[in-house]
Amino acid sequence: MNDKNKIIKQTFQKVFDDLEVVLGWKQGFDSLHMTPAFIRKASDLDQLVFNPQCVQNLSGYLFSTLKAADPEKQGKIGICVKGCDSRSLTALIQEGLVERDRVYIVGIPCKGVVDVKKLRNLKPSLTEISGITIEADEVVIEADGKTERFPIADVLAHKCLQCRYPNPLIYDALIGEPVTARVAQDAARPAVEQLDALSLEARRNFWLTEMDRCIRCYACRNACPMCVCQDSCIAETRSPKWLSQRSDISEKFLFHMIRTVHLAGRCTECGECMRVCPVDIPVTLLMEKMNCIVKELFDYEAGIDPESKPPLQTYDSSKTGI
Amino acid sequence: MKKYLMENLQQNSTEEQKIRIIGFLCNWCSYGGADTAGVCRFKQPTDLRIIRIPCTGRMDPMFAIKALINGADGVLVSGCHPNDCHYSVGNFYARRRMEALKRFLPFVGIDTQRFHYTWVSASEGQVWQQVVTEFTEKIHQLGPNPGFHINPDIQQPLSLAL
Ligand code: SF4
Ligand code: SF4
Ligand code: SF4
Repeated sequence: MNDKNKIIKQTFQKVFDDLEVVLGWKQGFDSLHMTPAFIRKASDLDQLVFNPQCVQNLSGYLFSTLKAADPEKQGKIGICVKGCDSRSLTALIQEGLVERDRVYIVGIPCKGVVDVKKLRNLKPSLTEISGITIEADEVVIEADGKTERFPIADVLAHKCLQCRYPNPLIYDALIGEPVTARVAQDAARPAVEQLDALSLEARRNFWLTEMDRCIRCYACRNACPMCVCQDSCIAETRSPKWLSQRSDISEKFLFHMIRTVHLAGRCTECGECMRVCPVDIPVTLLMEKMNCIVKELFDYEAGIDPESKPPLQTYDSSKTGI
Repeated sequence: MKKYLMENLQQNSTEEQKIRIIGFLCNWCSYGGADTAGVCRFKQPTDLRIIRIPCTGRMDPMFAIKALINGADGVLVSGCHPNDCHYSVGNFYARRRMEALKRFLPFVGIDTQRFHYTWVSASEGQVWQQVVTEFTEKIHQLGPNPGFHINPDIQQPLSLAL
């Protein structure tokens, strides 16, 4: 057990009596995958880990966990967050979906997480991983008794390569030293720029070709911490009936437009939607573009300040403003 | 009513110009404005199909997107001038949504010129005439909506910097 894991465990141990459940990560079905852990017994705190394989954004579980929690007890939920996850959590607090005093937040400064798909492409034969560490521009992988180094772009998740907020913005306890952000706050988003540089028709074609693969499994929606409507999502309502069950491209397109519009000014760019897509559609890029627009128009970024209001949930009453 | 609309659409599509524009008009101002224009017998293009909404605050950006994806050639949204909203602030919310949408559309390949939002009051028959004439002209220049099907002739970007 490394130092960080020990400190995380000790931190939760101190307050465990006030907590109903602790959301953290533990090892999954093999040494490559970590999986969310819901810990209800103090003795299980040993399972908690933190490493670059802890990809899941646990804030996505908060809304439903709180809803399912015993309303009498008003117990707190303990949760581990990386920088990006803390933005989602902040956004949930901003919108009144999570009460700040119902959560105990353990923040972990983060150097990045791996994209399991990239790793598999790189090393299809990986079996026993004993450790992944991230240095400035390299990822060091110890696996099958060997140590190998790769450029970060080949291994890290898309979101981490353009991470602006690696340090949790909101926490009750911080584990470890703050790290420096990989890019400047106003740095460009290369993939979005790449698409912006195409012609209108090529762009439409790009998205249609991508969305053509969409199987409408709705995993992107279900993994999104900000998609809190879930079972009452308008993609599935019959009244009003926005989408049919047909598998036409226009229906798929509309589904993605629903998500883009509903997440305008709310998406925290945690990248979960893109990570979970079984057919590798870069859905996050839609929200990234929308976020650029929201930044331009309202000088606003989602999930930064728990006191501020998302721009599309308020207005400017001047005649000439937006 | 529905049958009439269908026949009307079909009829329209057999005519040589096949442009269809959907107008979402606020009940309190712009719908009145369009009515005023009619009562005053101002000449107006006939390509616009008007849908009356209670307030531009009710204007879900999805209405516009769904219309455009399903083949409308243009979408025009018009409501009360800022500070004149019947519900005080509906158009202020709308303004933010419409502007964000307008800037987003090109990212998915929809020409932003096919979407326009504006403010016209009930007494501004002449302004309405001008707005609808200009927008319709613009859409005629752009031609029919190219639609949403994959064009195999267009080269894909090889790999995105993901
Ligand atoms: S986006 Fe930033 S905070 Fe989130 S996992 Fe990547 S490096 Fe960590
Ligand atoms: S839309 Fe995607 S990137 Fe944005 S908050 Fe939801 S899951 Fe995260
Ligand atoms: S996860 Fe992928 S396939 Fe599933 S609905 Fe979302 S975009 Fe479509």
